[in-house]
Amino acid sequence: MTTLLYTHPVFLEHDTGFGHPECPARLTAILNALKTAPFADLEWRDAPPAAIEQLTRIHPLKYVERVLARIPKQGYYAIDGDTIVSPQSGEATLRAAGAVCAAVDAVLADEADNAFCAVRPPGHHAEPDQAMGFCVFGNVAIGAAHARAVHGLERVAAIDFDVHHGNGTQVVFERDPGYFYISTHQSPLYPGTGRRNERGVGNIVNIPLPAGSGSDELRQAWRQEIEPALRAFQPQLILISAGFDAHYLDPLAELNFSEDDYEWLTRQILAVAADCCAGRVVSALEGGYNLSALAASTAVHVKALMEARRAV
Amino acid sequence: MYEFLHYQVRDAMTADPITIDPDARLREVEELFEVHDFNGVPVVDSRRGLLGFLTKFDLLKAFCFDEQAMIPHYDEIMEQTAETVMTRDPVCVSPQLPLSRLLQKMVEMRVKSLPVVDDGRLVGIIAREDVLRFLRHATVAHEIPAREEPRS
Repeated sequence: MTTLLYTHPVFLEHDTGFGHPECPARLTAILNALKTAPFADLEWRDAPPAAIEQLTRIHPLKYVERVLARIPKQGYYAIDGDTIVSPQSGEATLRAAGAVCAAVDAVLADEADNAFCAVRPPGHHAEPDQAMGFCVFGNVAIGAAHARAVHGLERVAAIDFDVHHGNGTQVVFERDPGYFYISTHQSPLYPGTGRRNERGVGNIVNIPLPAGSGSDELRQAWRQEIEPALRAFQPQLILISAGFDAHYLDPLAELNFSEDDYEWLTRQILAVAADCCAGRVVSALEGGYNLSALAASTAVHVKALMEARRAV
Repeated sequence: MYEFLHYQVRDAMTADPITIDPDARLREVEELFEVHDFNGVPVVDSRRGLLGFLTKFDLLKAFCFDEQAMIPHYDEIMEQTAETVMTRDPVCVSPQLPLSRLLQKMVEMRVKSLPVVDDGRLVGIIAREDVLRFLRHATVAHEIPAREEPRS
């Protein structure tokens, strides 16, 4: 049993334009780190494109068709001020969502203990009919819907530690008690959602953190709120929206998480997963815009995933 | 230093300062800051009534990350008008305020300059540099050196 790494060369061709922080170099930095000796046991797999019916579990077909039709043959198309697509973005967005579905399949089939999806573009801001915040399809929400629909799971949780609130995942989950969404994020900050009183049908836990929050606030939130809520839900699968932009070096926000915090948090999640769902965890990359911090944080996250099986 | 106590804001202020309209673009304000050594510029109506004060900090504030966009966009923000980011009803001082009191107020409020308003109209701007200049002028050659006790 192993940890799977789902990625694809086309993720490096999703070109967002000069100077854009959500850039191919992010993934290059991550993959370079994951090619070093400590990660030799990772099993690399190509991310397959998502099937249309996988996307339409959360996105209306009209949206899927419209967004794919807008992918330009050359140059760029700005869906909003910061969500830019270019010729290879169509395939990249499909494979980003497909990666999470394939990882869910593999982990639920016991082909591996857990999986990390090194994908671009990210997904947690994508609402059913609106691309935004660098995101086109809701990769993690699509993976969650896939686990429910195809594998018959009744309870799927997603933990989102990206510095921005995952409005898209929340919108998909908030009326369905078979989903559970927990987010730590800086507030106030883009996209403005994620207030404490947004609780869905009791299945949404938002933990807004003021600028400057770091290790102490994260650990307190885990102990007092996240872990009890997650254990009470008894998930059959845990998905992670792994954004690393709450890192103290990140230029887009002002939280102060460190690599140690990401490693610690990952191990905590894995411990709950071991108790609730035979360790079944699928993590997918979201944000993180300081390249060295992103690579180092992703590395400790993936290393913790790889070491989970030895603890069981 | 005694002489300093006799001065008022009107003695040290820049009279008839450059001002901007409330609908001036931030781009123009930025150019103004680029050319002149201002900390802030008064925003006035057509009768020179003081509507607000726009400082370099207010300009910076326009670029803070907020809930509207993942990343602030320079060109869009520079098209905003002065009145969207200016400080409304700013603290202002009267031309008759003693400079000694003004100094105290600046230190307490940590402001770099203040608009001077008389009878509802803007009449000047007073900045830290003006106060420093008057401190220097008001003391040179007038101070009686403190008597030094001879050391044994």
